[in-house]
Amino acid sequence: MSSPIIQCQHLSHIYAGKIALNDLSVEVASGEPIGLVGPNGAGKTTLLSILSGFLRPTSGVVRLFGYAPGAAQLIGKVSALPQDARLDPSFSIEEQLVFYARLQGLTTQQASVETSRVLEAVSLTDIAHEKPLVLSHGMAKRVAIAQALIGKPALVLLDEPTAGLDPINVRTVRAIIMEQSAKTTFLISSHDLTELDRLCQHILLLENGIMQTETMGINAQQASIRFITLQMEACPTTEVIAQFQGLDGVLQVTNPQKNEFIVGYNPDVQPNMDVQLMQCINAHHWQYRQLSHGKSLEEKLFFKD
Amino acid sequence: MQAGFFNHLLLISQFELKRLVATRKGVLNLLTFLVVWYFVLLYPLRFAAELVVQEKNFIQGFSFFDAIGFGSLQQWHIPEFAVLWHFSLMIFPLLSITLAADQTCSDRERGTLRFIVIRSSRDSVFFGRFLGIMLIQSLFISMTTLTTLALVLYRDATLFSAALPNVLVIIINVILAVLPFTAMMAALSASVKSVRQATVWAILIWTFLASIISGLAYYLPALDFFKGLIPGYQLADLAALTEWRTLQLAYIPLLQSLILLAVGRWIMARQAL
Repeated sequence: MSSPIIQCQHLSHIYAGKIALNDLSVEVASGEPIGLVGPNGAGKTTLLSILSGFLRPTSGVVRLFGYAPGAAQLIGKVSALPQDARLDPSFSIEEQLVFYARLQGLTTQQASVETSRVLEAVSLTDIAHEKPLVLSHGMAKRVAIAQALIGKPALVLLDEPTAGLDPINVRTVRAIIMEQSAKTTFLISSHDLTELDRLCQHILLLENGIMQTETMGINAQQASIRFITLQMEACPTTEVIAQFQGLDGVLQVTNPQKNEFIVGYNPDVQPNMDVQLMQCINAHHWQYRQLSHGKSLEEKLFFKD
Repeated sequence: MQAGFFNHLLLISQFELKRLVATRKGVLNLLTFLVVWYFVLLYPLRFAAELVVQEKNFIQGFSFFDAIGFGSLQQWHIPEFAVLWHFSLMIFPLLSITLAADQTCSDRERGTLRFIVIRSSRDSVFFGRFLGIMLIQSLFISMTTLTTLALVLYRDATLFSAALPNVLVIIINVILAVLPFTAMMAALSASVKSVRQATVWAILIWTFLASIISGLAYYLPALDFFKGLIPGYQLADLAALTEWRTLQLAYIPLLQSLILLAVGRWIMARQAL
């Protein structure tokens, strides 16, 4: 594991007597995007605000690249998309982004080029000379994402980057993150578990200010039990479960939602369980909508049993 | 490629200057200032200056200005500057309260400050905004004083060499006079949520707190020290002084500004953004 870019030790934060973060200790290495999930009030925004230097923790130690949040050494290296933050309505988008780039140490000319680059990345070059008030919610969010990308920072903290965006813009944001993630580590706080499932290899789960770590990918590959999630068209639930349970290697079949089945199986007994399931579905003339390997993130995080 | 503290200070104060000339609100402030001072210079200042000149040639032993408490007006060699001096000491501190009220509060409430402090220190933002507002006020003060100089020269062009020191005295002193007001607004702006709150608090501090401290100091003279912390504490005494003697009290606004800026910086460093 490479040296951690984020280190939190015994981090606590109390808002007006309410514990937002409780003795949280976590280390995050650079690399693939990292998801930060948790129910409302779990402390996600508080944690990101502390990491960004917007908020001082009540106790504990935080280090980004070995420096305290807000340190001069982190300028240009760490960037953030704060939740609900808006640009100054008095200046044009371009003027403000150029100003931000200048603060990061770029010359006026470099700042101008960089502003064009980040606006192009979010497909908003045509509104560069507009004032923020004319932007829709989705456009304002994309501009806020654009400012976070100025100077190609090594770490970008994104607080709800896709909240309130339409599917096309969600796709754009996802593409931006995927494209930049080769050089930039993203820490993404979101309620959109499907989105995080697509983007992140590592998930940090915050519940009542306490951190629990869920790691997907490699661990899932090495596990003695694997899962397949099946979305079916209208089908006889009891019969489907019975037929699936009768297949070689199947250890368990659950039906968490209508027409959704999670099949747990032993890969040593049946490595091609997906093919076997397809054959079973075909033999009974059922229709399926989607088959995916593994559990959904929602199932992993909130319905472990 | 990291920009240092002073570079940030410069960039942030430049951006504030840009706000004055490149935004609707800034231009409106500038126009209001120009209109107000146009009328001040055109009527009260010109006529009051004429009155001072007439008074100087009036009955020995009696002075109208002494009678109304403005005897120091006659001690200035150039009456226009005497009147400007008194107007400036009244108007610019008030202007400072309105002009400097929004140093950080609106940006903090809107979240804009987060975009800035992720790429700059809080100190740079706090002092950069303060410096920007001071530059704007210095510009206003200089414009007013230089326009008065133009009026003086229009009346009598031979006064140029005598007028120049007065121009410097007034510019330096009025800048010093608004310094603690701007510092007070910087501290207030760092702690409250809106321009209105900052303005209300400034008026409360300037009027009620000053009265309460004065009242208490009457019974407990040790509290007299706290009177010195209220911006504008020296203005009444300052109005009575003339020309270079006005710098005798310069230490008061300088000390007040240092204390208020230290308090403001402390608040800014601890404020959640």
